Amino acid sequence: MASLGYWDGFPMISALVCMATHWTGPMCYLRQEIQEEKMGFGKATSSSKAMKIIDTEKKISVLIVEDDPLIQKIHKVMMAKFGTEVQVVANGKEVVDLYRSGASFDLILMDFEMPIMDGFEATKELRSMGVTSMIVGVTSRSQDSEIQAFMKSGLNACYVKPLNAEKVTAVLNELKNN
Amino acid sequence: MERTQQHRQVAHMRQSLFDQGLLDEQFVQLEELQDDANPNFVEEVVTLFYRDSARLVLNIDQALDKTPLDFSKLDSYMHQFKGSASSIGAKKVKGECTLFREYCKAGNGEGCMKTFQQLKKDYAVLRKKLETYFQLARQVGPVETACRRK
Repeated sequence: MASLGYWDGFPMISALVCMATHWTGPMCYLRQEIQEEKMGFGKATSSSKAMKIIDTEKKISVLIVEDDPLIQKIHKVMMAKFGTEVQVVANGKEVVDLYRSGASFDLILMDFEMPIMDGFEATKELRSMGVTSMIVGVTSRSQDSEIQAFMKSGLNACYVKPLNAEKVTAVLNELKNN
Repeated sequence: MERTQQHRQVAHMRQSLFDQGLLDEQFVQLEELQDDANPNFVEEVVTLFYRDSARLVLNIDQALDKTPLDFSKLDSYMHQFKGSASSIGAKKVKGECTLFREYCKAGNGEGCMKTFQQLKKDYAVLRKKLETYFQLARQVGPVETACRRK
């Protein structure tokens, strides 16, 4: 899971998302570099000396929340093609249950219309639980008013279905910038 | 030589689906997702579309038989149909869905019925052409990359 912030008093120096888009398929990596010394925070402590430069290529984790098998299939393969690790659940209650059980994802793609618990309710619930994961709405509703209403649940962004390479690129760039 | 000719035939068939306005850019997006890990991806997705469509056509047919017409229900079914059609790039069918929904909003039952008859025809044509295309493509074998329209 990608996170920017501090660990043991040291800043995470960079989280870099590299994307190259070409016909063989776009790839996306998240690189976390932890530097050996504190930057501008005084003397290095013994714990910092024990830190090594860790250069790991860690995949972005994506949860697709979608009840339609057709859209599930398209979005799953599309996100995997962008080099992310993908899981799929079929309604809003399942994503809430996942987070309650301690799971977390870098990015949630949230459908609006779903049985049991829809995307609006699920997003509201996740935000009230303190979930700060990026949540992007993916809806077949295209009216501005409908999209704005969905955004009010606490989404970071909202796109009209279906996703395509351009929209996914925009979402992953947004994730990189957050 | 024959193989090259068959490949050309497949490519021509594919291009005609776009030229006739049956498919749009979304279909190309699906083709670009097809690879060794998902070698039959496009056909699998289109098969799911046929499944969705069969269910929705049945629902809409039954709903159009009722009196008075429940335009809200009809609109909801057609919204789903439009979503499915959009997902595979079924441009013409998507257009008919939009038109149908406009008739629903206007409470025009006759408009809905006429549009739905046309939609079913367009859907049948698309399905037949896609089935022929996929069958030929399977016989000929994979082409390296999908040709992108300019």
